[in-house]
Amino acid sequence: MKNIKLHAIVLALIVISEMIGVIPISIGIGRIVLLPMLYALIFGMLLTPKFLNVAKEKEMLDASSLIGVTLMLLMARYGTLVGPTLPKILAASPALILQEFGNLGTVLLGVPLAVYLGLKRETIGAAHSVAREPNVALIGEKFGLDGAEGRGVMGVYICGTVFGTIFFGVMASVCGALGIFHPYALAMAAGVGSASMMTAAVGSLVAMFPDMKDQLAAFGAASNMLSGLDGLYMSVFIGLPMTEWLYRKFYKIKYGVEAPASDAKKEDEA
Amino acid sequence: MKTKDMVLAIAIFTVMSLFSNAITTKASSAAAIINSIPGLCILAIIALAGMIAAKFIPGGIPAAAWVVTIGCLVTVPGFPGAEFINAKVKLVNFVALCTPILAYAGISIGKDLDAFQKTGWRIVVLACAVFIGTYLASAVIAQFILKALGQI
Repeated sequence: MKNIKLHAIVLALIVISEMIGVIPISIGIGRIVLLPMLYALIFGMLLTPKFLNVAKEKEMLDASSLIGVTLMLLMARYGTLVGPTLPKILAASPALILQEFGNLGTVLLGVPLAVYLGLKRETIGAAHSVAREPNVALIGEKFGLDGAEGRGVMGVYICGTVFGTIFFGVMASVCGALGIFHPYALAMAAGVGSASMMTAAVGSLVAMFPDMKDQLAAFGAASNMLSGLDGLYMSVFIGLPMTEWLYRKFYKIKYGVEAPASDAKKEDEA
Repeated sequence: MKTKDMVLAIAIFTVMSLFSNAITTKASSAAAIINSIPGLCILAIIALAGMIAAKFIPGGIPAAAWVVTIGCLVTVPGFPGAEFINAKVKLVNFVALCTPILAYAGISIGKDLDAFQKTGWRIVVLACAVFIGTYLASAVIAQFILKALGQI
């Protein structure tokens, strides 16, 4: 907390990263976006003993003890994004509300794959949700972001930040072209709690079904607002317990022994 | 964490965010930077209120959930002062608040770099599965309900 050197380093990282600014890279099918937060992360890593050795052991430990708190300012902003849209959210149709449970699809597809790939407790962080800001905060608070669970959620968060937009844009195009789902259903599915991912997915659908433009945009935006509201509660009460349970099952199938408990520090010790 | 430490930590991050927000929003004048201060202070108070609630109110609800809920509540149309709060926090860029977090995260990750290298490509594969999983499952449910309601 009172590690002045750490805060000075961080301030320098912020200023340098923000000065570089957003770098969009076009790659034919869409855009990859590099944000200042990504440079701050990478430069921060480069300062540690393995590389430049500016940030020493003490700075690394102090930084990791502070991350849980740093996320709270962002969560406050997040709540204030949801609040003004609440009346509209409450007026949403049953289809919109129920499709929110589809966000648990990450668990059903993610946990078996994660265990198959040989990931251990990273699974809990990576597969319990689509890993947007509130999920990062939740994992950070429960397990710390420097443990296995934290690596999982941060990994998926970064992937989402860098290529999530393009991924959702392409995925919506493919599903739209397959013709299995109605465009309305695909627009509702686009809202996963990230405005940029939703916009990309809806954008692809609008390009394919221009005469439904307004409905698609409205469904996408409403579903995204809903995910913003319920995403965190869904993770706390359903997603995370379900992931833990499924992880233990698949771990036992693969390794034949009970999954070891988390070695991460618990919140009350932090 | 002691309440005193929470206040100090939030104060430090608020100052950090002032910098990242000023550069992100390309604040060209001192006035533009000063304008973002009330919003940041409101966010700091919401964050502190949520953390203190999580600490003293039993039930084990995470601070993140408290903070989001309080932030949501005070900006719901009709809540006393919601319009004022909303106008002020709007001047604080959401993405700018992420930069200080990831700067601290980068430094703290330094000690786990080996573990990161080991899991790196697997997490990328998994991230794709996570995106596909949420999208397809939501689409299946929406399709089913819309059909059942006769809306498509």
